[in-house]
Amino acid sequence: MSDTSDGAVIRCWRMLRARHILHAYLFIAPVVVLFGIFRVAPAVQTLLYSFYKVELLRGRFTFIGLDNFARLLTDPIFQQAARNTLVYVVAIVPISGILGLLLAVLFNSRFRFQEFFKAVYFSPMVTSTVAAAMVWWWMYNPQFGIINVLLKLVGIREQPWLMSSSMALPAIIIFSVWKTVGYNMIIYLAGLQGIPVQFYEAATIDGASAVRRFWRITVPLLAPTTTFILIYNSILAFQVFDQVFVLTGGGPANSTNVVVLDLYRQAFQRYDFGYAAAEAMVLFVCILGITILQYVYSKKYEIAY
Amino acid sequence: MRRSQVLAIALALLFVTPTGVLAGAAKKITLWYPAGDVTAGAAHFGDKTLFAEFEKKNNVTVEAVALDYDTMQQKIFAAAAGRNIADVLFIDDSWIPGFLKEEMLEPVADDKAKAWLAAVSPEIKTLSDYGKGRMWGYTQYGIDVYGLTWNKDHFKEAGLDPEKPPKTWDEFRDYAKKLTKRDAQGNITRVGYAIRHVGQPHGIVHKHFWAIHGAGAKLVDDHYRLRGGKTMINTPGGKAALQLVLDMLDVDKSTSLNFPDPRAAFLKGIASMQISETVSIQARQPKEAPDLKWGMALPPVPKAGDRPASNLGGWLYSVPKLAKNKADAWKLIEWLNSPAKDYELCKKYNASPRYTVNWDKEPFKSDPYNQGLKQMYPYGIKLPINLGFNGVMEATGSAIQKVWHHEASVDAALAEAEKLANQAIADAAK
Repeated sequence: MSDTSDGAVIRCWRMLRARHILHAYLFIAPVVVLFGIFRVAPAVQTLLYSFYKVELLRGRFTFIGLDNFARLLTDPIFQQAARNTLVYVVAIVPISGILGLLLAVLFNSRFRFQEFFKAVYFSPMVTSTVAAAMVWWWMYNPQFGIINVLLKLVGIREQPWLMSSSMALPAIIIFSVWKTVGYNMIIYLAGLQGIPVQFYEAATIDGASAVRRFWRITVPLLAPTTTFILIYNSILAFQVFDQVFVLTGGGPANSTNVVVLDLYRQAFQRYDFGYAAAEAMVLFVCILGITILQYVYSKKYEIAY
Repeated sequence: MRRSQVLAIALALLFVTPTGVLAGAAKKITLWYPAGDVTAGAAHFGDKTLFAEFEKKNNVTVEAVALDYDTMQQKIFAAAAGRNIADVLFIDDSWIPGFLKEEMLEPVADDKAKAWLAAVSPEIKTLSDYGKGRMWGYTQYGIDVYGLTWNKDHFKEAGLDPEKPPKTWDEFRDYAKKLTKRDAQGNITRVGYAIRHVGQPHGIVHKHFWAIHGAGAKLVDDHYRLRGGKTMINTPGGKAALQLVLDMLDVDKSTSLNFPDPRAAFLKGIASMQISETVSIQARQPKEAPDLKWGMALPPVPKAGDRPASNLGGWLYSVPKLAKNKADAWKLIEWLNSPAKDYELCKKYNASPRYTVNWDKEPFKSDPYNQGLKQMYPYGIKLPINLGFNGVMEATGSAIQKVWHHEASVDAALAEAEKLANQAIADAAK
């Protein structure tokens, strides 16, 4: 073949490749544009607002530097919201994850009506959080709620639940565990079914007990799944809002006030958008930092046999 | 005819007909109001015939849209920010400072305001006037004055005179103790007095306003001052007001945190006394508790001889600055709030009228409920109009919750409330 024809082939190949790349970008362009408009642009706007006193209806924006962030440091309500959020995250992520794993291990073996029970555990995940929270609000009612009625039947004194500042947050955590455990179960189930059966067979032959097989094979090989669940659930937990808003509105006495609810109030009740934006930025940095830490830490424990 | 011609005519008709329909359609005025039983007056917007006469005369359609009370303020603000707000807002007067801070409302025209203030009864004038004759809307009929309501059968059962409510705080505590009932395990099944301690901070403060002001404390020092000033909640009176219910919770055990909706508890018969909007009990009792025999009086005072205090509050028909049909909106409001309409609607819905001239007409002249309210109105105190009022209410509501939930001592909670409330007042004044 001559040099001229080689060059033509290469040019032709380059053109084809460029066209393929262009087509690929064209296909993802709508999603990227929408992502930019509805995710990136508002995030950048929030970052900018956090450095301003924003009077949205009057169209006035006054640059105040870090004043909004400085205010956060001395705001007792924000501090309580941050503490409550942290307690919520530390409680719900491991509880929901562990319960999800245990259920997945249970459902990994075959038994009667297995699919029905899987659906039962997964159904809270597909139920609207607001609708479910409203039902639970009634379930938690001190006089008429079914939870207290059942407690009374077994001789336990009726509890104030959402009416008590010490019980309201645990009550919300219970609801959230119920809501999320099904999803974790499904993810872990998928992870379990990716573990080769031969490992268990070999361990059984070697005399390993069920518990030992669980800790030595199942848990390590589920590390990538666990990483995903930890990160995903942490991000969601930090952004908790719906159930708190419906069940308690942040009360009583701000005992269930969380960061996202507080920033919602700052923006839409106090009309202080700049301060709310600063809260959002602090939350973003915390979530990003913890996500990076979890990711880096969990990589150390991923193994392959 | 050719098929293509038929298609062309059909398509043309499709384009022309909606245009014709739209051109002839009446203009629409939207009115937003709170859903449910938050205020008795709002329920009337569900009556399809309410605006019929106005709609026919002015060739408009009035669309009344119900919103959830707890999020209504936020929705109004979001709608204003999105430049897509209703033409008429039926709003809680305690929200006015927040809306004024954002310059969201149209004032009532000076001449109309002057005429209204001259024609209405003194308590309506108090509620309507935001200083120097300025009005931001028209106060609804059937205004709220908070009163003590009690279950007469419970009183009889407890050996108390059903026609004699408690007048002082000591009597109040004593009555509440006697009226409280318990089951075999010691759980309270009926509270002597039901308290509001959860939900919107405004609502919590409203229901304890009688004790705060009755004891000499104040939410804001000058109720008519728009900017600046300070809270007077962290005073001996404020402390006494919070301590009263704390003692009823811990010492007397005549109230409980398990009965969070005082009106509902009262109507269900699981609370013997409660203090809230009398107009709400009046409206709900026939449907929810037809057999309930109840009494109504001013809230009790710290000691004999003290002047009773109560909230004078109400809802307002207002027009936002960003409304698209302002002229028609004002027309609607003025029509709804004319002397003739006031009489007609108050008679129909058994609500207290606003015009002085209507108070002299039957049934209001001899109706015991309305005349009872008239005796209570002079003790009603209008909420402050300070631009930082939202922050004051949140701080005070939070303090009340913390104390009654044993999260903080009275001193600590009120000290924090004072700091936060004064900060809110100062921020709003900038």
